[in-house]
Amino acid sequence: MNQVNPLVEQVREQGRLTFNRLGIPTMRLEHWKYTDVKRAMAPFMDHLGDPPAEAAIDTTAIDALAMENLDAYRMVLIDGRLHQEASALPQGVRADSLATLLAEKPEQGIEPLTTREDAPLFNGFVALNAAHARDGVSICIADGVQLDKPLYILHISSGGAAHICHGIHIGSQSQATVIEHYTGSEDTAGFTNVVSQVRLLQGGSLTHIRLQQESSRQTHIGRVSVCQQRDSRYRSHSIALGAALSRVDLITSLAGTGAACELNGLYLTGGRQHADHHTVIEHRAPYCNSREMYRGVLDGRSRAVFNGRVVVHEGAVKTDSSQSNANLLLSARAEVDTKPELEIYNDDVKCAHGATIGQLDTNQLFYLKSRGLSEDEARQLLTFAFADEVLASIDIPTVRRHIEHAAFSKLPHGVDIEEILV
Amino acid sequence: MNPANTESKPEDFAAQEYKAGFVTDIDTDTLPPGLNEDVIRHISAKKDEPEWLLDWRLEAFRHWQTMSEPTWAAVDYSPIDYQAISYYSAPKSSADAPKSLDEVDPKLLETYEKLGIPLREQEMLAGVAVDAVFDSVSVATTFKSKLKEAGVIFCPISEAVRDYPELVQQYMGSVVPQGDNFYAALNSAVFTDGSFVYIPRGVRCPMELSTYFRINAMNTGQFERTLIIADEGAYVSYLEGCTAPQRDENQLHAAVVELVAMDNAQIKYSTVQNWYPGDENGVGGIYNFVTKRADCRGARSKVSWTQVETGSAITWKYPSCVLRGDDSVGEFYSVALTKMHQQADTGTKMIHIGKNTRSTIVSKGIAAGHGNQSYRGLVRIGKDADGARNYTQCDSLLIGDRCGAHTFPYVEVKNPTAMMEHEATTSKIGEDQLFYCLSRGISEEDAVNLIVNGFCKDVFNELPMEFAVEANRLMEVSLEGAVG
Repeated sequence: MNQVNPLVEQVREQGRLTFNRLGIPTMRLEHWKYTDVKRAMAPFMDHLGDPPAEAAIDTTAIDALAMENLDAYRMVLIDGRLHQEASALPQGVRADSLATLLAEKPEQGIEPLTTREDAPLFNGFVALNAAHARDGVSICIADGVQLDKPLYILHISSGGAAHICHGIHIGSQSQATVIEHYTGSEDTAGFTNVVSQVRLLQGGSLTHIRLQQESSRQTHIGRVSVCQQRDSRYRSHSIALGAALSRVDLITSLAGTGAACELNGLYLTGGRQHADHHTVIEHRAPYCNSREMYRGVLDGRSRAVFNGRVVVHEGAVKTDSSQSNANLLLSARAEVDTKPELEIYNDDVKCAHGATIGQLDTNQLFYLKSRGLSEDEARQLLTFAFADEVLASIDIPTVRRHIEHAAFSKLPHGVDIEEILV
Repeated sequence: MNPANTESKPEDFAAQEYKAGFVTDIDTDTLPPGLNEDVIRHISAKKDEPEWLLDWRLEAFRHWQTMSEPTWAAVDYSPIDYQAISYYSAPKSSADAPKSLDEVDPKLLETYEKLGIPLREQEMLAGVAVDAVFDSVSVATTFKSKLKEAGVIFCPISEAVRDYPELVQQYMGSVVPQGDNFYAALNSAVFTDGSFVYIPRGVRCPMELSTYFRINAMNTGQFERTLIIADEGAYVSYLEGCTAPQRDENQLHAAVVELVAMDNAQIKYSTVQNWYPGDENGVGGIYNFVTKRADCRGARSKVSWTQVETGSAITWKYPSCVLRGDDSVGEFYSVALTKMHQQADTGTKMIHIGKNTRSTIVSKGIAAGHGNQSYRGLVRIGKDADGARNYTQCDSLLIGDRCGAHTFPYVEVKNPTAMMEHEATTSKIGEDQLFYCLSRGISEEDAVNLIVNGFCKDVFNELPMEFAVEANRLMEVSLEGAVG
């Protein structure tokens, strides 16, 4: 790391220049209309690029924050620096530190750091990431490899600004599950800025679970950018439970014939939390499918933003796309702003989207009460059921249980319901 | 009253084929192109306006100068030179109008024929100089006396300024303020024509009001301003526009429509817009930048917007409802058809402020050829709007592989008791539906018409009866040649 490769320096410089020009997104920008990052970013503005102080986190602390009983290849990042590498990876699977890669094979390492400025939802944070991301994980699954266990990337933040960049490459006819888990001890007030670049070659399949469970004072900015080749499958579960302010942009480009994606999202907010999800699905090739379902439960004075955009380009015939966003408001002071967009330049398509905002169904409440549940229990049960529909498609039981448990403790009286159900 | 010298503008300027045969003498009463405070003073003086209105216009103009043209709409056009437009011209003398139908573009006549419009009306629509002795004059006279009996005021806005200044002063700009947006500000500064309607307390307007009957509305103004007030318990249904393509020489239209509904009042506003859309190559055509807003001020008031948009090269229009009164209701029903190179960015805003307010949005878009259209809507449910309810459905039908249909719905909810649903679908004409019709011996073109009419039915049902029949026929004519 001491001597910097000119290729890397060029990417860094480009990032710095772009960031200087764009700055932190303001509410004047259409895609940041409902999300004000200015106040959240204020403490970090003077030392955006400074590496956070070396935190002393021992193995017990790490284990306490990690998903329990998860059988996976585990990597641990602390404040954006790789702390523990995966061990005993099967043949054809690599999970390297980005820092090492940048030093040893810079032309390969800079790949996830480069995002074109005309890419959808490009903003100052992406440039900032390119300028300062020191580390991350570069995953490469060779052609025809079926990964037996999930790759589990645990991020722990202990304060300060951490810029992380991941690259995920899924080879032809390969299959893998990657879990990104963002967490930290309860009192940290740091800033996480993550960019994940995913590439799926022909017939590749990836299940991507992104669980954001950071401290309630953290600021979390994330971007996942996916490029899918022919017949590839991308399945995402994006769960936002923590952070004071979180924003995740998910962009998938269905570039090859017959590719499919399934985007699931869940946000549970309370207190003064702010959760923003922007997704863009670009249908660029014929016979592609996309399914999207995002749900949110809002309590306290929290606010959630959802913006889902589906673009069907010319020539992307036989496109089949559906999108839904449903929100449940539990408190009089919560606010939700949703905008499901369709942009279609082709007539041979079937696209539908929907959004709902409301309260629990009174008939369902009545039914449960007539079966002997109290009003509160019935409400909590239905609220949980509403959220759980998104989690139902997670097919690793340990992960699903972990998220459900976290969801229960997030919901008012959720713990009691958990006793009823489990 | 249309500025004749707008034609001095270059290439993309209005309908060339429509102009053939029209002699356009520059009227001595026409102001030279350009916009400044003197022009506004001149307009105001010409119209014999009171001091307060001039000040109001000037205020709007000063505000306009600080604004820039909006660019967020998904439409594309070459920049408009606002200094190249003449903002006032006296009512046209009959000399520059075509002398008879023989001088009118045969294509236009063909369309009239298909729509089944009587000859007399054809002449009127084509702008043929007709003598004062004309059927509609007598119609209008009986019409007026009937309204007078009911106590309804229905007159050009300039007349209202003169005769009912206190009403105009009280309500004008109270729904769409002068500086509301770029085009509304421009309109506030230079508006020259429009309608004024006042329905007194408890009166149900005995007939459907239509600009079509207002004699001087034959040539709709370029900067129209309409103000409709329904006092407590009043009801009015207002029709704007006409299914037949109208001759019009202005490229830019920036109208403002303000509706005010007091307690228990109801306003139904229907529009059929079929202005010149430009030719097959997308040259020419009207730019229609309209601000329409209704204020449901009273409890249990109701405003319903229905629109059928098939004309104009560019449509930029968002009829909105501010649901201020408790239990007030807002409705928006729209059919928009874009073909050739037409672009439409249209939708609605429903701002829920009062308790138990309800709104319904049904928007149907049909895109054919190179047409592009967007639904852009906002549903905002405020903190105190307990029990607010919204249902939104926007469907798009695509015909051809070079058209586009887009949906941009904004939903902002700040109250947990709100129920809000939004649904949208986009698809092409169902092949199985088409096949079914064909197998029953219906020709492809008729089958498409049938399916399109079925698609639009929810909206057409909201139109007053005669309008609905015409609208059906209009869709058929408009879709001709778009299929296959």
